[in-house]
Amino acid sequence: MDGVLVGKRLIGTQAPVTVGWENIPRVEGGPVKQFIFTWFQPTMLFALIAFWYYAPNSIAKTSTAIGIGIGFRVLLLALEWVNPRYESWRLTWKELVTDLFYVGLGFTVIGLAEYYIGSDAVIEAVQHSFDWHKLAWFTGLPLLVQAFLISFIFDFGQYWMHRGMHNWYPLWLPHSVHHYITQLNINKGAVGNPVELFLIGLGVGGFFDFLPRAVLLAGAISLGIGTYQHINVRFNSPRWWRFLFYTTEHHSLHHSQDYESTRSNYSNNFIFIDRMFGTCIDGEAELLGMEGGRRMSISEQMTYPFTEGWKAIKERFGRPVAVPAE
Amino acid sequence: MELLRPDSLRLPSRHAQADAAQGDIEKARSIGDRASLRFVDWIWHISGSVPLAPEQSSDEALGKLVPLFRQPGTSYERTGDTLTFRKKDPVAQDKMSVFDDGILRIEKAVTGSVLQYHLTSRILLLCFLAPLLFLSFAGLTLVAGKFEKPPAKESKKKKDEVLPQNPIDKFLGAPAPEKPKKDGADKSEEDDNKLSPTSAYVFAALFASLYAVGRILESRLIRALFKKKLLES
Repeated sequence: MDGVLVGKRLIGTQAPVTVGWENIPRVEGGPVKQFIFTWFQPTMLFALIAFWYYAPNSIAKTSTAIGIGIGFRVLLLALEWVNPRYESWRLTWKELVTDLFYVGLGFTVIGLAEYYIGSDAVIEAVQHSFDWHKLAWFTGLPLLVQAFLISFIFDFGQYWMHRGMHNWYPLWLPHSVHHYITQLNINKGAVGNPVELFLIGLGVGGFFDFLPRAVLLAGAISLGIGTYQHINVRFNSPRWWRFLFYTTEHHSLHHSQDYESTRSNYSNNFIFIDRMFGTCIDGEAELLGMEGGRRMSISEQMTYPFTEGWKAIKERFGRPVAVPAE
Repeated sequence: MELLRPDSLRLPSRHAQADAAQGDIEKARSIGDRASLRFVDWIWHISGSVPLAPEQSSDEALGKLVPLFRQPGTSYERTGDTLTFRKKDPVAQDKMSVFDDGILRIEKAVTGSVLQYHLTSRILLLCFLAPLLFLSFAGLTLVAGKFEKPPAKESKKKKDEVLPQNPIDKFLGAPAPEKPKKDGADKSEEDDNKLSPTSAYVFAALFASLYAVGRILESRLIRALFKKKLLES
């Protein structure tokens, strides 16, 4: 494969990828379908923001956010059924069960670990020893500015954590498991080794819990943009949307079987962070995964970072095997 | 020839090899194990039959099914009227990815030839067991909650203060921030949510329902797939 030159990088030499928005297929169908799948994303984002901006204090709480999050994902699952990006990514019962298993881990044991030894515990300690008057300038900002700044700070941290995972072997080991998925569906973001899920859960979002409405708005922004990372739906995202925000196209390229393509599009919500640091590639891919698309079983997903890590340690520090003299 | 009962369509499994190698006592025990497994193996075993079209030979029928097994991670073997297969980490796009191994055999009945199949699925078994795992997580959360200290009486200074509202938000009609609850009540409520077993219970119930759906759905899908392939011209 010849590949396409993007900046100084040759993309798509190992597996087929599509580079450039002009080469990406559009939604097929009548004008109503075209309209829905062009304006769905902006409409939902603005609706979510409006809801959390104006919701009375009595319902503006975490439990409402969880309910909306679940409902939104169910709606997106229905969209996957109606308008799939690729037939080969159709959700099967087995894939659904596997994905939900990881979602379940996130809501239970990994959540518990975060509470005791993750960012929740650290944030709690920091909050106790912080002079809150120093943040008065922030708490006086308009709500939407606060929400954007919280989202941006979080995404900026995630960008570097994710980029670090692709560039430092000890972090790559737990993250690599997530790259063995061979298709994108709405819950695929949860699939990965629990160590990675724990690491990716580390963030500063909880630090701002003293600003409940701004945090809920930031969560709505994340739900209305980041949820589309792993989804099998074809959208005609407006030009301004795909310039500012992360899209499925960006993430499919990041999951491509082409190694060079995977080293791009690291952010979660704001693709302009990738544009700022020169790691953005606009394009998409259908053939995803590692090792030519080999699927990992759940048991291998659980042990892979440790077995591979052990091999790497033995290789580096192990005693050289004595070779008998001729 | 008598139609094969599902029991006689057992995989050329570890049992058969073990029988040959073990003594009489162990053999008897093995038979006992199999008999007891029969009551539970419906959990991850799927059996069924599809009638062949009149005049369709067993060779032709198996030939039509063979493309299903030309998939990454799948090995298969045809011996006479029987096809056995095994899958290791099948890709998500494999139409039979739910199954790990199985046996397909063409049998002749009074009414005509029939494809008998017996398949096993590890994911069905795991899905069946998943509720137990999540119930154990619920137990773990309950234990963790018991060891949790009660919230400190002294609330942080910032909790007593009402957050300011920017004039722009006031102008646009956003609700004014309310005074935080005293004694860190809101914080302890949040901690209670994190140490609540509810989500574990919800996932236990979800996997129990998913199992029921999958056991019925996959059984129907595989029958429909075999039927479709056999009828293809």
